[in-house]
Amino acid sequence: MTPPTTAVTPAVDHGHAAPHAHGHAQGGLSHFLSTYVFSKDHKVIGLQFLFSTLLWFLVGGLLALAVRWQVAWPWSDVPVLGKLFAQEGGQMSPEFYTMLFTMHASVMIFLVIIPILAGAFGNFLIPLMIGADDMAFPTLNMLSYWFMWPAFICFGASFFVEGGAASGGWTSYPTLSTNPASSPASSMGQTLWLLGLTFVGVSSMLGSVNYMTTIILMRAPGMTMFRLPMTIWGMFITAILQAFALPVLTAAGFMQLSDRMLGTGFFSPEGNVINNAIAGAGGGQPLLWQHLFWFYSHPAVYIMILPAMGMVSDILTVFARKPLFGYRPMVYSIAGIAGLGFIVWGHHMFMSGMNPALGITFMVSTMMIALPSAVKTFNWLGTLWGGRIQFTTAMLFALSFVSMFIIGGLSGIFMAATPVDIFIHDTYFIVAHFHYVLFAGTAMGVFAGIYFWFPKMFGRTMNEFWGKVHFFLTFIFLNGTFFTMHILGAVGFPRRLADAYHYETFHHLQPMNAFMTWCAIGMVATQVIFAANFIYSMFWGPRAGRNPWNANTLEWIAPSPPGHGNFDFQPVVHRGPYEYSVPGVEKDHLMQTDPPNQAAAAAAAAAH
Amino acid sequence: MRQSSPSHRFVAAIIAIVTVAAVGCGKTPPASFRLNMVQATKATVPESGLEKPWASWSRERQQQVATILEAMFGTPDEPVALPETGLDLAKLQLAAGPVRSDIVGRKNGLYREHCAHCHGISGDGMGPTAAFLNPYPRDYRQGKFKFKSTWRDAKPTHDDLVRLLHEGVIGTSMPSFALLPPAQVDALAEYVKYLSMRGEAEIALFTYAEQELGADEALPTTKEFLVDEVLTPIAEKWQGAADARIPVAAIPAGVDFNLPGNDLANRDSVARGKALFLGDGGCVKCHGVTALGDGQANDYDDWNKAIVAVSAEVAVGLLSSKEAATGGMSSDALADHRARSAWLDSFAHVLEGDALRPRTIPPRNLRIGHYRGGRRPIDLYRRLYTGINGAPMPGVGPSGPGGKGSVADEEIWHLVNYIRSLPYEMDGELGADRPMVAKDRF
Amino acid sequence: MFKRIGGIFWALLFLAVPVLGVATFAISPFYDHWLPKDVSTHGAAIDSLFYFILVLTGVVFVVTEFLLFWFMWKYDRNNQEGHATYIQGSHTLEVVWTIIPAATLVFLAIYQMNAWADVKMRRPSMAPTVEVIARQFEWRLRYPGRDGTLGTADDLFVVNDLHLPVDEDVLIQLKSMDVLHSFFLPNLRIKQDAVPGMKIPVWFKAREVGQFDIVCAELCGWGHYKMKGRVTFESRPEFESWLERKYAEQQATQPPAEADVAAE
Repeated sequence: MTPPTTAVTPAVDHGHAAPHAHGHAQGGLSHFLSTYVFSKDHKVIGLQFLFSTLLWFLVGGLLALAVRWQVAWPWSDVPVLGKLFAQEGGQMSPEFYTMLFTMHASVMIFLVIIPILAGAFGNFLIPLMIGADDMAFPTLNMLSYWFMWPAFICFGASFFVEGGAASGGWTSYPTLSTNPASSPASSMGQTLWLLGLTFVGVSSMLGSVNYMTTIILMRAPGMTMFRLPMTIWGMFITAILQAFALPVLTAAGFMQLSDRMLGTGFFSPEGNVINNAIAGAGGGQPLLWQHLFWFYSHPAVYIMILPAMGMVSDILTVFARKPLFGYRPMVYSIAGIAGLGFIVWGHHMFMSGMNPALGITFMVSTMMIALPSAVKTFNWLGTLWGGRIQFTTAMLFALSFVSMFIIGGLSGIFMAATPVDIFIHDTYFIVAHFHYVLFAGTAMGVFAGIYFWFPKMFGRTMNEFWGKVHFFLTFIFLNGTFFTMHILGAVGFPRRLADAYHYETFHHLQPMNAFMTWCAIGMVATQVIFAANFIYSMFWGPRAGRNPWNANTLEWIAPSPPGHGNFDFQPVVHRGPYEYSVPGVEKDHLMQTDPPNQAAAAAAAAAH
Repeated sequence: MRQSSPSHRFVAAIIAIVTVAAVGCGKTPPASFRLNMVQATKATVPESGLEKPWASWSRERQQQVATILEAMFGTPDEPVALPETGLDLAKLQLAAGPVRSDIVGRKNGLYREHCAHCHGISGDGMGPTAAFLNPYPRDYRQGKFKFKSTWRDAKPTHDDLVRLLHEGVIGTSMPSFALLPPAQVDALAEYVKYLSMRGEAEIALFTYAEQELGADEALPTTKEFLVDEVLTPIAEKWQGAADARIPVAAIPAGVDFNLPGNDLANRDSVARGKALFLGDGGCVKCHGVTALGDGQANDYDDWNKAIVAVSAEVAVGLLSSKEAATGGMSSDALADHRARSAWLDSFAHVLEGDALRPRTIPPRNLRIGHYRGGRRPIDLYRRLYTGINGAPMPGVGPSGPGGKGSVADEEIWHLVNYIRSLPYEMDGELGADRPMVAKDRF
Repeated sequence: MFKRIGGIFWALLFLAVPVLGVATFAISPFYDHWLPKDVSTHGAAIDSLFYFILVLTGVVFVVTEFLLFWFMWKYDRNNQEGHATYIQGSHTLEVVWTIIPAATLVFLAIYQMNAWADVKMRRPSMAPTVEVIARQFEWRLRYPGRDGTLGTADDLFVVNDLHLPVDEDVLIQLKSMDVLHSFFLPNLRIKQDAVPGMKIPVWFKAREVGQFDIVCAELCGWGHYKMKGRVTFESRPEFESWLERKYAEQQATQPPAEADVAAE
């Protein structure tokens, strides 16, 4: 039996070209605007999200570099930013440092990770993978993108107002963030932050309603829920999470805005004394904010990983040429993570002064939430077992997601252990944990998704050589940057300190911090390769056919890139999403639309 | 599997461009002292018959002062301590310079590590953080300090400054540096004196230029002038601080500070103190009958007062300058008018950008138990005796050695006793002065 | 063959993860990059929990990462013939790898409850030894003074320099004047947020004399890094004499250098 041809061969695309070749010749400007700017086509909206979030990724990354510089070499001359502090010889001020890490986290969480997963990938992929021609509510979809722009403007402008951008941490705890006298940015910057957050919330809410409706109601004939690819399951469960958790954050945000601007006292206790300033209204509880904030923000961290888990599951199967191991357990695990995700928020608050008995209850629920993640990891390993692995760039990133998620997930168990959390809370151990799950996890999943679906998005493939260089360097540098943070945390090195060497006990950790900063610089520099590859390939990359990876899900039936309406004909689904290496079939994959008796027919043909 | 080379070339080109851009950004120049722009602009009032444009003339004057100051005092990275100042250069070097707090046993950078972002690199109280603090950080350049053991107009002693660094100032953003090694605290106190002397010398130079020099005359740079006329009077006041301590009266009978203020043994003393508070002490005008600080509150401390005064002058000047009828002026008068307008405009800009917005100073609420200059009885005695230099708080003791105050020296201890009892006074007579129960207060 | 090298290369890269990961944790203690010395009575329970979880997660880490490497190495397309194994899953395996981790996690949760309760729930009934009031950006301490009651006129006020008796239960009343702070004693495995408007008890017992750091562990503004305090544990007599000395300083009516009263 001849080995199957599964190499990647970019074929010439004869299908429908990109939306712009529709052939309309009327109304130049208004046509341009409605096709590329205010488009209701989910693919254009998805790409708009993608480009915007990638640009903010750059901003967030540069903010992180400035943070790392100060941690490694406090009070030294900062490159580029030092010009702002020319009087002091380039050394940054401590409130500038608190602004840097606050905005780094805020930008990365609200303007990059959440919108890129749901907004970019969700938008682009959901209709394509379920066999629909667009989202259920195209106008709502367009609005969900354009609601991000006021958020971009609020966050961006906050850097330039008096007092600078928000600097109370991305967690924005009162009374630091509610009392204008307690921090320079607690005047305008914090207000803009809250407004920006509200806009992001509206955008997410619009999106989640759209995704839930589309996935429930607009699946192609034959596409039952348990024939959906894991990407869609990830997006679906995430949309449900968003819908239930987000209103709490929005409400809390309004309460904080009201405290700051209308003189209410939701979060301000009586008798606050900040030097000459007048105390707040009083009668409130700072802990209330923490409960409300984390009630959203814990599900938010699952919002920031479940879609990536789904995408990685799909990519692994394509390049292992094997069905997903344990499809239903995987679905139940995602649902379990989401459900349990609503009852663990207190683990961010073990030291907060809430009733210590809650430390016990939240510890139990947090320990339990490790279980579905473990099940998923084992199933990924099972997917690889017995496979025929192709080491494409997308596959490498997907594999690294698994590897890095193991680290991030296991480090979470230390924090779930409440007595241990007494020591490691607010140290770099926590920073290591969330950077492993968010960057080494989700961001690697995002890169995998970009390399994988780039041909579908742009009709061309990205360069595999530079992709692998990008992967290799990113993988090395990110581990160099973040792994040793676990060690720093074990020493007790605290977070958010402008100058930790103020304490003699931390002096000897400076070389490790310097090493981490060099790795961080390397990591950000490596993304230049990705950007160059991306831009080049968008315009001049080799053309891709409809299915360059020989995958089986519905989006690979459509042209690359798909036109309006996505498919040439209404797809009818006969199979599940992971029909690779089906026994008795010569080709090593079957499309979801391939008729059910394909295997029998092929076996019959081969027997002759 | 290599793709076509255009992609390689493109990526390589992008990498090269970004690298060059990043590397070519260059280092920031070393820190530099900032001129006291309010003084500088104030001192360069244009005279009639000014031959060059006012802007370039005033820049020259500023440049002269800057050059002299650099010769006399050095730069933030490399301080100079002329022997007449009596300053210890080794301590200054420990405090000056850029900082690397990661190097154990490093040789310098203390001021920049601990102080500069509030007090400013020049000690002008205008570091990047300062505008957001209430009250503002101290501006050393006038040479005035509030909390000390000497006569009102005298300088603080070295020990006064060290004590301030040790205790911090409760009720302000000035923290305690008690945990720094004593050698470092010493070096910082020395550096504060250095910055103060530098600031005072700067003011003296500008004042001399304004009052004694003609438009074409440059500042003299002779040793006689700079050292003998400018520097020595300033340095002598600093060196004489230790001799300018106020006398401390004996503690009268009926006062025992080792007992709580509301102990029965102290009752008479507290009553006497209350009578002084409401009477001869003259305290209620600002602190209020209730001692809550609700008397008059629209005065400024000296640092803010200076800005307010100058702002008022400049505003009036700008108005009249705009309204002047330039049509009928001769060419000389027109040149003078233009020079003056340029000066006023520049001054307005300086007040916008180089001065903190003035704030009134609230009288202290004595029922909280926060005493900025220290809570010991001796600290309160000193505040009452001389008042607080730079603040509107007057002293009840004599204004100089051999003088007579409004309250006898010994009687001041009764006032101290009364003040210390205020936070714990549970039966105030007036409704508004019932304090929070002390154990719930800070 | 060339392509097989590629697969080997990537597999080995992923093998570096468990190898270097374990190496980092194994080597760090020898370079003083490890848990700080613990001088409390409850710290041993916390540290042993940390080590227990470290070993448990370490084993899982090594096994799973090794499997990942092994599968990448063995199931490289260039190392195998024919199609992949068409298998949708294994019910048995799912049950096994759900039950075992679940049981382990539940055990872990229950195992720790006692340690938590000791530190955070079983408050000793005693009067507070000292009140710690966190403030931007220092630790203001208030000792009860001679009458033994906090909040009276003979309280002793100190800044940043906390002294406590060794080998005795200590109860701290933690408050905050302005914003959230957190009272963190790394060498005693103690951490508690100071919340404005709340009075939170913190208790522990130190086993050794010495001086250790107080670190602020909750962002409190630009000076968060400046909130260095120092806790000194000393014997009861030394503690009492320190209190006396500080008290006398607080009552000073003369400048320290000049014992004589200056004549008027």
